[in-house]
Amino acid sequence: MIGRDGWAGLVVLAASLVLFALTLRLEDSPLVPIGPGFYPRIVLGATALLAAWMVLADLLAARRAAPRAARVRRNYALVWLMFAAFGLYVGTLAYLGFRIATLLYVAAVNALLDRPRGARGWARVAVVALATTAAVYVVFERELSVLLPRGRWTDF
Amino acid sequence: MFELLGAGLAGMLQLKYLAPLAIGALVGVVGGAIPGITITMTVIVVLPFTFGLEPLQGLAAMIGVYVGGETGGLIASCLLGIPGKPSAVATTFDGFPMARKGEPGRAIWLGIWASIFGGLLGAIVLIAATEPLARFALQFGPWEYFSLFILALSMVAGLVESSLAKGLASGALGCVVTILGNDPVLGRERLTLGIPWLEGGIPFLPVLIGVFAFAQIMSDVEKMGGAASAEQALDRGVSLAVSHARVLWDILSRPFVLLWCSFIGLVIGVLPAIGGSAANMLAWDQAKKFSRHPEKFGTGIPEGIIASESSNNANVAGSLVTIMAFGIPGDAVTAVMLGALTVHGIQSGPLFISQNAQIAYGMFAAYILAHAIVLAILLLGVRWMLRIVVVPRSILFPVVLVLCTVGAYALGNAMASVYVLLVFGVAGYAMVKVGFPLAPFILGVILGDQIEVNLIRALMTNPDPWLFLTRPISGLLLGAAVLSIAAALWQHHRQRRRMAAAGAGDADF
Repeated sequence: MIGRDGWAGLVVLAASLVLFALTLRLEDSPLVPIGPGFYPRIVLGATALLAAWMVLADLLAARRAAPRAARVRRNYALVWLMFAAFGLYVGTLAYLGFRIATLLYVAAVNALLDRPRGARGWARVAVVALATTAAVYVVFERELSVLLPRGRWTDF
Repeated sequence: MFELLGAGLAGMLQLKYLAPLAIGALVGVVGGAIPGITITMTVIVVLPFTFGLEPLQGLAAMIGVYVGGETGGLIASCLLGIPGKPSAVATTFDGFPMARKGEPGRAIWLGIWASIFGGLLGAIVLIAATEPLARFALQFGPWEYFSLFILALSMVAGLVESSLAKGLASGALGCVVTILGNDPVLGRERLTLGIPWLEGGIPFLPVLIGVFAFAQIMSDVEKMGGAASAEQALDRGVSLAVSHARVLWDILSRPFVLLWCSFIGLVIGVLPAIGGSAANMLAWDQAKKFSRHPEKFGTGIPEGIIASESSNNANVAGSLVTIMAFGIPGDAVTAVMLGALTVHGIQSGPLFISQNAQIAYGMFAAYILAHAIVLAILLLGVRWMLRIVVVPRSILFPVVLVLCTVGAYALGNAMASVYVLLVFGVAGYAMVKVGFPLAPFILGVILGDQIEVNLIRALMTNPDPWLFLTRPISGLLLGAAVLSIAAALWQHHRQRRRMAAAGAGDADF
């Protein structure tokens, strides 16, 4: 039975073989005798070999499988929600603009990580979101002259 | 050398450099003190603030964060029994028991003073060794650089405890990142996979920020809602009053532990991408092995705290030697510094000191002064740290992620870097879950282009590949790379046999 390392090795092996195949399409330059595909082929070949080693080692390890350690409960649902919130934030930055997107993102993550209870909880969420957005905007845009993204939809 | 150092110190005492150094040190102490916020994450958060500064101002801030973080991390280790950062894990072994025995002030100040001594011992080597090493590295041709980078990658991969294959594969994956998008020799597009933002290649800073920040934050998010919070574990009424004369005597009456463990920290710092997390454990283990009473280690004795804290601060100096002499980051924090140098158009490597003497000696001066500033911060505000270590993660994490986003965006005022951040944030977390070590990956990302450029340059100068082996320095470096992989293989084999034997022993009983 293939384990976690084996699956990881298979994914890396597949990806490196696909990329290796793509390097065969790279055209050599008349100026430089060693083409742009020379080094990528070495790297991807080595990666594929190492991935194959991982798969083999996993298959061999499965034969002498050790007893499983006690599982620690982990909150993967929260991790998924955090990634989803960040993905949405990055996706909407260009459309809503830095100030609106950041305000919504910080409020959402703060509420996700510490569920607000009652009006006081929601006030905390609002204060954290407003203070973070304002502080980052003032420091970067006003003091450090970093032009933060403006929203295509909001022009703000 | 002393003239330049004197000028560096005088320059660093000007307010325009001293202010970022002091603010960096304060942020570092605070970041280091908060469990779960690593120094790497703190320096990543500080990075975007340095873009608008002069190079030396930005580097001074980062050095302040580095030194402050290494020292601040011991506070949570001693008071909560939770390491503030990976390089303070061994401090927990003796610091927390000492604090629980009713001497929290002694535990903390032993750590702080040992950090200061270890750091300043490291400074002597940093200043004395960097220039000669850089001069030696000037003799290197592309063959030697190629071999040096291969040695660095193989050493880091070989030090991975779980699996050598994973360590090497992780380094190779880092190199794969550098072949996507752009050919560094001709500057032509290559393997863009049809993705427009890959056309210029993948900038390494957003990769580094994404991988480290998300791997750390999401690993902490997984555990949220379970164990008791740090706030519940902390007694805010605890007294940190202590006799500094007694603490100094505690340290200076154990010169062997201080010197040997500082040396260990330095050597580990010089080795690429290993960092303080290995240094403090190894130093604590060495102090125990050389002790006349090893059985007392872990019960709250000064030697354990001195060993761990002197080594992790000396480790900072070692990491700076490697980046300033060879352009290879000693750990993740110096990798971020390397990125900051690149942003300012400064090439690190053997020519760095001769071409940027003012910046190099300014960095030495910042490193020395950072210790005095950190000491002053802690003398004035150690009590405040009791409050800081319990800042809620629900506030910290969104703020850190927003600053990471701004940091990535500000690199080129383009969303492409933010997309890279997101992609490598997910990849970094996935790598941690699958057990791929991050250090070889990041080193691969940083060195991949350089490996390619030097390989091609060497082969275009002379197509004979045997020159990599027959040129003495290059051959020695490649030999060392093979030896380090062989040693790692042997160590893994021995560890497996021991575990198998232990398993059989358990079964017998």
